[in-house]
Amino acid sequence: MLMVENLVKKYGKFKAVDGLSFEIEQGHIYGFVGPNGAGKTTTMKIIAGLLRPTSGRVVVSGTDLSRDPREVKKKIGYMPDFFGVYDDLRVDEYMNFYAGVYGIPRQEREKITNPLLELVDLTDKKEAYVDSLSRGMKQRLCLARSMIHNPDVLILDEPASGLDPRARIEMKEILKELKDMGKTILISSHILPELAEVCTSIGIIEQGKMVVSGTVEEILRKASRKKTLRVKVLGDMEPAVKYLQEQPSLTGVAAGSDYIDADFDGDGAVLAGILKGMVAGGIPVVSFAELEGSLESIFMHITGGGEGNAV
Amino acid sequence: MRFNPIIEKELKIKMRSWKAPALITVYLVFLGLIIFLNFLGTRLLSPYDYGQFGPSTALNSYNILAVFQLLLVVFITPAMTGSAVSGERERQTLDLLLCTNLSTHSVIIGKIFVSIAYIMLLITASLPILGTVFFYGGIRITDILLLFAFYIVTALALGSIGIFYSTLFKKSSVAMVMSYLTVLFLLFGTVIVYGIWVRIFMRYSTTPVTLAQTMAFMFPNPLYGFGSLTEGMSYNIPFFGDIFRFGFSMYGGSQYAASAPVILGITLKPWMANIGFDIFVSILLILISAYRIKPVKGLWRKKRVKSGELKVESEKTV
Repeated sequence: MLMVENLVKKYGKFKAVDGLSFEIEQGHIYGFVGPNGAGKTTTMKIIAGLLRPTSGRVVVSGTDLSRDPREVKKKIGYMPDFFGVYDDLRVDEYMNFYAGVYGIPRQEREKITNPLLELVDLTDKKEAYVDSLSRGMKQRLCLARSMIHNPDVLILDEPASGLDPRARIEMKEILKELKDMGKTILISSHILPELAEVCTSIGIIEQGKMVVSGTVEEILRKASRKKTLRVKVLGDMEPAVKYLQEQPSLTGVAAGSDYIDADFDGDGAVLAGILKGMVAGGIPVVSFAELEGSLESIFMHITGGGEGNAV
Repeated sequence: MRFNPIIEKELKIKMRSWKAPALITVYLVFLGLIIFLNFLGTRLLSPYDYGQFGPSTALNSYNILAVFQLLLVVFITPAMTGSAVSGERERQTLDLLLCTNLSTHSVIIGKIFVSIAYIMLLITASLPILGTVFFYGGIRITDILLLFAFYIVTALALGSIGIFYSTLFKKSSVAMVMSYLTVLFLLFGTVIVYGIWVRIFMRYSTTPVTLAQTMAFMFPNPLYGFGSLTEGMSYNIPFFGDIFRFGFSMYGGSQYAASAPVILGITLKPWMANIGFDIFVSILLILISAYRIKPVKGLWRKKRVKSGELKVESEKTV
């Protein structure tokens, strides 16, 4: 449905997007994750026809963007990360205006805009002025606007940014509904948990390059291959740290405030052996457990923890 | 025919608030007051002096209104269009328009139309006041129509200049300042350049300055066009008609009419050259502005990497 092939966008010598490739099947939600400035917005703007790539290819429902941008624009609904609204325009007028922009005949506009407002739960705000809406409502209105021409593909750039937890949950519900409607969605965020629940696939991008791409399950499977062991001991942690560092199956042993973490590669028997050794060595073990692999840990691992607060 | 949605939306926003009728009311009251004071000034309304009225009083009022409306067009249009595109950019609504299939020409034309329409509304609303001169005669309907056409073309040109700067600069304030500087150049810069040319190059000339030479400098000036337009009508606006003829009066002005350039058998008058310039500038700047806001200019298929050269980005092992 949406195919991006070897996309490159250069600004002088700086490469904002560096050979990006991914594909999204119809009815799938693809989460585009990466720290701020990774190239997510640039990629989305290229797909929406707002930026010219230095090289590469974008194909939407079989139509090449470079060959027929008008046709591609018909198939794409774009919601930017930052957007404004027109003062003194009511919600229904706002929708009618964009319906007019997309060339929808006047008599058909209401039939199209009403269900969309219902979808984003703004029917009762139909006659309210747009600038009187809350941020969450404006985001939902912008989402409804991006669907006014019934596009196959939705490009949503940080649709949940700046929303309170309740509004985020509402946004997720709408996305699930859109998925059920068979829409293909590319959604970006720098906050991973936001996407993990709704996405079928995820791509992690850093410095313009795709570093990991696959279904959520695949990525979690990769995460579970690299396990973290967390050990808590009573009293002095020094002998425990020393013992763990000596174990060949453990790497990156690091002491926290009251625990010790270590990456390990192996199975339960290896773990049991380590525990046995610690007890035999007289180390007072309080807790000895394997941490679950998570998307966050992958993201942190890949991006070097630079966006720790964001994840 | 599909109605430009930008025009529809902007007119709706502009016209439904109390500001629009209030502005029209204030404007008409102001114009009415000018006419009233002019009539008073000629003692037409004086109960002690019945013999002072002549058609010239009405014509004089008409002249004042005509000049006033021209100044309105000249000084208000850049303000209306100077923020048209940069304002959309500042409001972060431009991308939402450009990612649709609405052509950039439609966006630009819609913006210019709305700006001009508002000014034209003010001028049209003043028609009944202008109409008072018909009680006294001396003005033909064709004169008024020609004057209106001149206003529209002038507003179009100045509006296009405003829009052009609005696409050139990201900040509305900068676009507005540049628009006004350009308008000031057209109004006064051309006069200064012309004056310098006459003073320096024609000082020892044995031949008089011709109209063609004057027009070569002054044709972009809306006041020059206006003076020339009103000169040929059944009334005359002395100030603007005369001010740009100083070159002739100093250097054999009586011959200027005979020296007007003739193109295809038509004697080219200054207002014709001015209107021609305005139309040319409008079309050119509309095209350039539409091109400037186009998000992806030209085709990018030439630069596209051929599928055979594609290299797949290897995944980083987690």
